Amino acid sequence: MVDFARVQKELQECNRDVEVSGIKVSPKADKLTHLIGTIPGPLGTPYEGGTFEIDIQLPDGYPFEPPRMQFSTKVWHPNISSQSGAICLDILKDQWSPALTLKTALLSVQALLSAPQPDDPQDAVVAQQYLREYQTFVSTARYWTEAFAKTSSLGVEEKVQKLVEMGFPEALVRSTLEVVGGDENLALEKLCTV
Amino acid sequence: MEDRPTDGADSEEISEGFLCCVCLELLYKPIVLHCGHISCFWCVHRSMSGRYESHCPICRHSYSHFPAICQMLHFLLLKMYPVAYKIRENEILEQEKKSGYFSPQFDAHVCGLHSSQELSQLGNPAHYSTTISQSNTCSDETIVLQKNCNGKLEVTRSVAVEEKNLPQYNPNGNCKQVSIANVLCAACKQLLFQPAVLNCGHVYCATCIVSPANEVLRCQVCQALHPTGFPKVCLEFDHFLEDKFPKQYSVRKDAVKIQQVHFQHESSTIRSTKASERGVNLSSEFIGEILSWWSHHGSKAHFGVGCDSCGMLPIIGDRYKCKDCVEAIGFDLCGDCYNTCSKLPGRFNQQHTPEHKFQLLRSSHDVMLSQVTVQLEGGSSENSENSSPPSIFPGDSQENAENDLAASISSNDTLEYEHD
Repeated sequence: MVDFARVQKELQECNRDVEVSGIKVSPKADKLTHLIGTIPGPLGTPYEGGTFEIDIQLPDGYPFEPPRMQFSTKVWHPNISSQSGAICLDILKDQWSPALTLKTALLSVQALLSAPQPDDPQDAVVAQQYLREYQTFVSTARYWTEAFAKTSSLGVEEKVQKLVEMGFPEALVRSTLEVVGGDENLALEKLCTV
Repeated sequence: MEDRPTDGADSEEISEGFLCCVCLELLYKPIVLHCGHISCFWCVHRSMSGRYESHCPICRHSYSHFPAICQMLHFLLLKMYPVAYKIRENEILEQEKKSGYFSPQFDAHVCGLHSSQELSQLGNPAHYSTTISQSNTCSDETIVLQKNCNGKLEVTRSVAVEEKNLPQYNPNGNCKQVSIANVLCAACKQLLFQPAVLNCGHVYCATCIVSPANEVLRCQVCQALHPTGFPKVCLEFDHFLEDKFPKQYSVRKDAVKIQQVHFQHESSTIRSTKASERGVNLSSEFIGEILSWWSHHGSKAHFGVGCDSCGMLPIIGDRYKCKDCVEAIGFDLCGDCYNTCSKLPGRFNQQHTPEHKFQLLRSSHDVMLSQVTVQLEGGSSENSENSSPPSIFPGDSQENAENDLAASISSNDTLEYEHD
């Protein structure tokens, strides 16, 4: 049985200083077992400026078992699967402690973005690139950040305006954005194929 | 039941040091771990592994014994935050009823002089209650460990009700006033300085914890063994004392300073010799290494079963299971506690009495191996010290290797003497 009182407390605690930490956790549905965490890309890294969403599922034993976290925003990082978003981080596995919280876990994930561990990779391809062609890695990671982690920073109206400026009719733009869940890149892709 | 002002909960601003690191609420029935970190009874129990050694949620310090509740902190919190603590009590009781597992009850807490004697007189004849008189430790507190829901407990019950009407529970009285009498060292009877809590839950100044050389640390109050060397200072408690009683604390600090130097020297040497004292002691060299723990103790461990006296979880070696306790959680003792005829009450409010019968259980792995060993040894005693027969116990072979090593060292010693 998940300790909902604690989860509730954690959410309050975390969202209280969201301006300082930039880390946000909110429930995905009515149930408190499925949450979404958001972390800003650390400054001075290829992830700077991006906002990364992390899908959080709380197992029955939480907080005595680690939360299950994986990126729902696509990321190019040696310790994060570029396919599934799975995260390779010890505190989310055997090094979990019930004194850790969702916020501290997300802070650790953010720290992982700043300090990749290519020797203990989750994504071998990315890790190889990181070790052999570091510059290519940096530019790929930056491109992925631009492409996938910056969409949510724009408001709906801005997205609409941007796509209308490209020459698509406003009504179609709005309906397409709605279909793809507000992702402007996906919307553009869809608009182009129509 | 009395009506209590519920609006009082807001006025009770709970110090951050008294929030549990696991449930993030006010500590309820606090347990101080060997490393000095505090957590609630159930939070500690649930974060323990039950399969191999457990780790402190905060510092990951490894430990193998489920410590008893620190009653001094329990009553301190009750006094400081009566409303919030009561709310927590109700919440937990609700959960306990659902799960069917109960935490120990300390219903009566009496500060008056006469009532302490009355209580122990009344408490002793009651068949199902165990009275621990602490009058020789901290002021004149008497704590009745009362077993839940039993009609035979009328005597103690009535006292408990009476006790609730005492002025200390009166919101108009000084119920939140914590006095030095509430926080005295069990040994020196002075204000605690750098408090450290033993496995049994009794609190001492770190400098007051002494044990005869080469013996396992034992609580002076209840005589319970403290299984793992010297406990670390409970820093949260220490900070609280320093804030609450600044003058007296600094006096104590100066007085202790000189002893302190001596203590540090002594404790470091004792700690090293003690680590290998008990067979069940999971010494620090195995911290975090589950595999080596496994090879050492795995074959003798009773997974998920803890000793209700010393708190060892899982029990390693012989396990004695009570055949008469009806509680869902059961009542078990480890070999050591069974042999020392421990009279401590269960950790989960079981209604165990000394008349109950025990059944010896061995871990299935152990049973299988011991049968073979008995055949090999021809029924000879297991503890023959010299010329150990070929043993197939993984743990035993380790011990034998150690014995051999010790033997070779001692023979070296004698050689050296001969040279001299």
